[in-house]
Amino acid sequence: MEHATSVVVEPAADRRPPPLAEHLNSDTTRAAMLIQQEVLGAARAFLRGEGFVELLPPVIGPVTDPGARGSKQVDVDYYGHKYKVMSSGILYKQASLLTFDKLFYIAPNVRAEPVETCNTQRHLAEFHQIDVEIANGTRADAMGVAERLLTYVVRHALTAVPEQFELLGRDPLAFAWLLAGQFGVLSHREAVDELHLLGHPQSPDAEIAWTGEELLSRQKDRPFFVTDYPKGSRGFYDRESTTEPGRLRNFDLLAPEGYGELVSGSERESDYATIVTRMRETGENPAKYRWYLDVMRQGVPRSAGFGMGLERLNRFLTGLDAVWQVNAYPKVPGEMAP
Amino acid sequence: MRAGGFPEEQVRARARTGAAEAFPPVESYGHEVFGQNSSGAQVAADELDAARLVPPVFMPLRLEKLIDLGREPLQSDVDLTTAVGGFTSALPVFLSAFGSTRIGSSEVSVAASRQAGALGIPMVIGENVVPVTGYRREPAATTGMLARVRAYLDEAGPSLGGVVVQQSTEDADAEVWNLVYSDPAAEPLLASGRLGFELKVGQGAKPGLGGLTVLDRDTAARVSDQFAIDDLWSGPGVLRSGSPGTFTDEILRQQIRFMRNNFPRARIWVKLHPGRDVAQAAACAWEAGADAVTVDGAEGGTGWAPRAFLDHVGLPLAECLRRIGTPSGCLLATGRMWEGGRAVKALALGATAVGLGRAALTAVDTDPEHGLRRLVECLAFEVQLLTSALGKYTPAALSGEDVWFPGRSGAADPAPRHRESLT
Repeated sequence: MEHATSVVVEPAADRRPPPLAEHLNSDTTRAAMLIQQEVLGAARAFLRGEGFVELLPPVIGPVTDPGARGSKQVDVDYYGHKYKVMSSGILYKQASLLTFDKLFYIAPNVRAEPVETCNTQRHLAEFHQIDVEIANGTRADAMGVAERLLTYVVRHALTAVPEQFELLGRDPLAFAWLLAGQFGVLSHREAVDELHLLGHPQSPDAEIAWTGEELLSRQKDRPFFVTDYPKGSRGFYDRESTTEPGRLRNFDLLAPEGYGELVSGSERESDYATIVTRMRETGENPAKYRWYLDVMRQGVPRSAGFGMGLERLNRFLTGLDAVWQVNAYPKVPGEMAP
Repeated sequence: MRAGGFPEEQVRARARTGAAEAFPPVESYGHEVFGQNSSGAQVAADELDAARLVPPVFMPLRLEKLIDLGREPLQSDVDLTTAVGGFTSALPVFLSAFGSTRIGSSEVSVAASRQAGALGIPMVIGENVVPVTGYRREPAATTGMLARVRAYLDEAGPSLGGVVVQQSTEDADAEVWNLVYSDPAAEPLLASGRLGFELKVGQGAKPGLGGLTVLDRDTAARVSDQFAIDDLWSGPGVLRSGSPGTFTDEILRQQIRFMRNNFPRARIWVKLHPGRDVAQAAACAWEAGADAVTVDGAEGGTGWAPRAFLDHVGLPLAECLRRIGTPSGCLLATGRMWEGGRAVKALALGATAVGLGRAALTAVDTDPEHGLRRLVECLAFEVQLLTSALGKYTPAALSGEDVWFPGRSGAADPAPRHRESLT
């Protein structure tokens, strides 16, 4: 197949994926997949270089990450029992600390996101994560790995396939600040204050809304962390601060230029009684999580980790308008697609 | 369907003839002499029914209305439009969840939904509907959750009312809220700001207990790891008891925040049983951002409950309202609501609106097409009559000074704060 020497990248903001054959046969998709291949290779090389072991997570289980922000889990009938398709590998990552101290997955996840997210340009119902966990790690450790991983992957991709960036019209200078120095850090409280100064409404008790995240991200020229989200905005497994009750020892890493969240991570709760209580606080029924609670009761190491959204990272790298453009078989929330 | 210990015949009469039932038979006009209790009411069923509404002689708020209108105000000048838990309701009334599992998901409840939509009042769909009936079944299903939402929207205007979907601990396995929130069928509700989610902490008929259902033995055996099963009867049925769920103030606060975080486009309601710490629980819910807190008095409930609970457990509604005092958020009251007098007393004691449960069911059972509409029209007419008699022209203007409790010294004190008049 002949490859084009330049691609007319159509703005995707107001349109949905074309029929699959057209999408697969597009030069934009081809360039995005060649960049993705470099991302995957570089991520594995970097993490193995830092001593992480790659495991393959399960696809289904009796329970999965309860998630947040209104996404629905997908059920499968498993010998007459209701099983879930993994919405993230978090529960298995924690359990696997019994096997290795540093581990990662690169795996697909399914979340039936609310239909309203089809307009955010950064949600897919089926997506992939680079999922990392570090036994006895702190939040600072996890943030450090995320920052070095992102920097390594960007540098590698720009060097390995510069012609693909050129095809997509993505200027390598967009990454100059990212490659030049440390990422910024602001607390959730500071992020809320910054949004209020910009005249944007944002609850101090809740997750930063999509529009707010995008607005914050547009103010920045390099990736930045947001830390210390309030309890009530994240799952039961993000550890609550002992010195500042009501705040979680977690973080997001956001890309600049309006691309928004790339990574969510945290120190984990590992104390059995705290996990049960936190499950109730997030409206979960602990009985559903029996296998996980049994493991926690026996004891797993304290840890910290994160999940990096592969498609979100690729969208930032390629500079494409919508996240579906960097997935070969995109499923936009609410739309029936093969 | 039977609803014992409840003014069933009076509710059925209203479902048949509507606002005419606000008065004795018109044929008797000019021929008979009437007085207290001539309506056929027996001994007051509880403290709230025993209380009396007490209009004053001097009415400064009526003067305000007179100046505003440029003529003497009438009962038809009472504006019943009320902000109820984040929605705009045509009346200070909403349709409660039906506790009965069998009825709550039946065609009767679909008929009730249609009429609630036409009336422009919010409707709560019970936590038992999805686990029992399933969520979607087939697209054209005539009962169940989606059928009720469709029926409501078919009759509703563009802006009044709202649909509130309950979930409890048992239901968390069914993940009803996530199902609804990500369902394109809910989009018309979300787009018009008329979807709400209600966290069911408890209910009036059996405070401290979870759901109770009678199941056949085979079905019960399949769920025996999730529920307590008691074999009480000689027939094929066994008792299945669900967990009510564990709450502390921090668990309630965080669950509400989590709901607000996950479902930012939905209104958040909380339903409490009449616990002795109901005031603290309600305050905690409002502080965490709940748009409404419903207090279900111990006299309420369409649900099936053990006799010991019906006779001995939980605070009556009047005592709940007394303990809450001046609410710091939208307070909704349920428990044997069916006519204007009890409703106006609850509104005067702090409630923003009252919920119809058993009465609504009975009305729809009497006349599936128009029963609920007629019942509510009669109630609305009475609320207008009573509110104007108290010299007030919105339900929000009602206060504790309007209510007198027999035997309570200092009751109906002219002091305007109802908290004082209650102590």
